[in-house]
Amino acid sequence: MKPAGKAEAGGDLRTDRDLVYAARDGVIEAFDALFYRYRDGIFRLGLAITKDPSAAEEIVVDTFARAHRALARLEPNDSLRPWLYRVAVNLSYNRRPRKNVVLSSLEDAADEALANEEGSPPHVAEQAELRRLVLGAVDELGPKHRLVVMLHYLNGLNLTEIAEVVDCPIGTVKSRLHYALRRLRTHLAAHPELGIEPRRPLLATGLRARRPITAPVPIEDE
Amino acid sequence: MRLFARGCGLSQLPYTATAEDLSIRDRLEIETHAASCPECSAALRDAHSVDFALRRAFAPLREQRVMLAPGRVRLALGSRSVERSTLFRLPRVFGRLAEVSVMVGVTLFVIGGSVEYPQSVAPQEPRSVIHEYFRRQQPTDEIDYFRWLRLTHTDEAKTVNEPVRFPVGGRYDYDLVEFVQVPTASPR
Repeated sequence: MKPAGKAEAGGDLRTDRDLVYAARDGVIEAFDALFYRYRDGIFRLGLAITKDPSAAEEIVVDTFARAHRALARLEPNDSLRPWLYRVAVNLSYNRRPRKNVVLSSLEDAADEALANEEGSPPHVAEQAELRRLVLGAVDELGPKHRLVVMLHYLNGLNLTEIAEVVDCPIGTVKSRLHYALRRLRTHLAAHPELGIEPRRPLLATGLRARRPITAPVPIEDE
Repeated sequence: MRLFARGCGLSQLPYTATAEDLSIRDRLEIETHAASCPECSAALRDAHSVDFALRRAFAPLREQRVMLAPGRVRLALGSRSVERSTLFRLPRVFGRLAEVSVMVGVTLFVIGGSVEYPQSVAPQEPRSVIHEYFRRQQPTDEIDYFRWLRLTHTDEAKTVNEPVRFPVGGRYDYDLVEFVQVPTASPR
């Protein structure tokens, strides 16, 4: 996982802190570098929450507009990434869904991303089906649990950063993630092709498994 | 003796261990605990499989890119970046205030000049149809003349009816005709 504040490979090699300081001094390229570094992640998060690509683009623009206005107040010692994601999450949830817009679920976005995947057609179809199952199960989670799962698996944030984004203690984040994964496990256990085994009684471990009550049936005399 | 089997208090660890940046020592501790705890062992196995499925499902989504240029942000900020401090805006505020006050004054002047204030109008008495008829008739004899005079020149009739008498030799050097002041509904 990429630690916060580190430069991305192939991009600007400066850290977030250096870029924030430079942007404060009016260096436009520094702010542009921050934009290019985080625009995709914020777009993905906005798309996953709003399910509207154009709304997700607006969220990216609004998030960086707010960041630009808050440059003087930003603490460069703190990590910029959770701050940006927090703004993006708030903007996404505060955005009213537009009328007459066909919303796309996570599965649709995955299908679009997989359109150019190479491989035999049956294999590609099988992989797409498995992804559809998993992402459909994620969509059925509650908003709080879904957000934690998306921030971790979609945006690659660690638990500390997620706690900053959702503004709650790290223990709460762990609890939400634990609940979400257990729920997903229950959902996905019904599909053996995913390789998730259904829960079995722990016979071999010394714990007594639940057995059905079988009382002897009396034989009635005719 | 344990009558009821309780869940392991550490069963949450395996699920969150996949997301945490744990040190090797912490991972070893969890593995050691899972080796002796069947519940945590199963949870660890489940967590790994769910974690793997999620990573595989989200992998294509993590490759999504968006074609957005930072110029969009500058465009959104464009109008705001021109604004300066409050001191710079003060002259503009005063200018705007003067404009508005002139507009309000002109509007009030136009509205006030076009409206006529209502004058105090004396209530008109309802006109009688019979009076109207006799007023239009030309007097033919003396009696009719006086009747006509009473109906048409009511102001003069009032003057005549005053109790003040001028001295003899003046304007009214004759017996004044006493007009009945109270209007009657029917002609005499």
